[in-house]
Amino acid sequence: MQKMTYTEAKKELETIVSDIESGELDVDALTEKVKRASELIAFCKEKLTKTDKELQKILDDIE
Amino acid sequence: MNEPSFTLSELNRQVKDAIRDRLPETYWMRAETSDVRRNRNGHCYLEFVEKDAVTQSIIAKARGVIWSNVFQMLSAYFENETGQQLSSGINVLVRVSVEFHELYGHSLTVVDIDPSFTMGEIARNRQFVLKQLEEEGVLALNRELVLPELANRIAVISSPTAAGYEDFCDQLKNNHGGFVFYTKLFPAIMQGDRSEASIITALEKVYQYRELFDAVAIIRGGGASSDLNCFDSYLLATNAAQFPLPVISGIGHERDVTVLDIVAHTRAKTPTAVAEFFIAHLAKTATELIDLEERTVSESESRMMKERSDLFSLSRDLVHQSSLMIQREVAVVQQLSDKMKYGVRRLLQHQSHALENRAQFVQMVSPINILKRGYTLTLKNGKIVASLHDLSVDDVIETRFSDGFSTSVITKTKKSVP
Repeated sequence: MQKMTYTEAKKELETIVSDIESGELDVDALTEKVKRASELIAFCKEKLTKTDKELQKILDDIE
Repeated sequence: MNEPSFTLSELNRQVKDAIRDRLPETYWMRAETSDVRRNRNGHCYLEFVEKDAVTQSIIAKARGVIWSNVFQMLSAYFENETGQQLSSGINVLVRVSVEFHELYGHSLTVVDIDPSFTMGEIARNRQFVLKQLEEEGVLALNRELVLPELANRIAVISSPTAAGYEDFCDQLKNNHGGFVFYTKLFPAIMQGDRSEASIITALEKVYQYRELFDAVAIIRGGGASSDLNCFDSYLLATNAAQFPLPVISGIGHERDVTVLDIVAHTRAKTPTAVAEFFIAHLAKTATELIDLEERTVSESESRMMKERSDLFSLSRDLVHQSSLMIQREVAVVQQLSDKMKYGVRRLLQHQSHALENRAQFVQMVSPINILKRGYTLTLKNGKIVASLHDLSVDDVIETRFSDGFSTSVITKTKKSVP
């Protein structure tokens, strides 16, 4: 997950949401999908709002 | 050597007179400005040049001057009309008087300027550059790039001291969405003759680190100058157009659209507007994320609610159905037991009835009862006489009644006719 890009995470999330909305999942599968969706959403939110110190340092070090 | 000779000043005076006689008016002249500078008295000194259209080599040159009082008027007018300062490298149409000074030589004194010519020249140059870019197939390349959804790593090409750069950084830092942005400054000279090369050098530097960035912002603002020449340059435009990252321009110009603006992925007017563009882009990204989140939550909630209600109605059905079944079974058993009770009773009744009948019959057929009803029993010698054959005249017979007997003698017998 940490190696994922935002776009990849978003794409997977979109697929999951459309799966969920298809109404064809059984409850167990639905629960699994919702769990994964929550992880992806948290990941994306973090990318949007949390500073990546490592990246900041790499940029600062460019001469 | 009998011919008369002149001193230099005498000769120069001759030239001066000849020029004044031959070119007494003021004349409209087309030329490019060069080396424009003002001295501390406010007078503007410059060079006028003409370049060969093909080779770009200078084919004519003259010194020029705009006296302070004229310059104040003309420069304001020119800047107001064209949106740029009267500076070097601009094609101008100026009204000049031709002067010749014994000491300073030939020069042109500017008395008027036609800004619309310059605007036409700028527009013509732009069209020319754009056409060239189009013919090379690079004009729309940068515009066709897709800005990543999470575009928050921005390479900034700007003068480090420009107020616009500070505004840009502040705007990003204090965005209301709480979004995180990473900016890296690649310093460049943003005005004057050296700006074109300086900006291209900065772009090349960003190119080396392109994996670390989502976009390039070329910003300028806050300076007094509005010299836009370099942003119409073919070289800068072709570099920007072919740059692998989206270029967002914000060169602080309200009115004009430079070639750079046209080839850029997105054009914003000011550095602040560039920052706002990035913030709005992330806000859109965040909105899409929140939409997906809401859809996940609402869909899974409504789904679980439905499952719960299905389960509930199933369990209710189960109770209902099973109690119905039990009721039905109880009814059947009840019916059976009722039936059985009835049957047994009937059977018993039947049996007792039969017994009664039997008893009645037995009673009815008992000799005592028969005797009571008027029948008698005839005995001879203690034996029941059932037929006349057994009797003869003078036989003594005993006749039994229900309440005693009598003895008789047979006087006559007669057979009954059948």
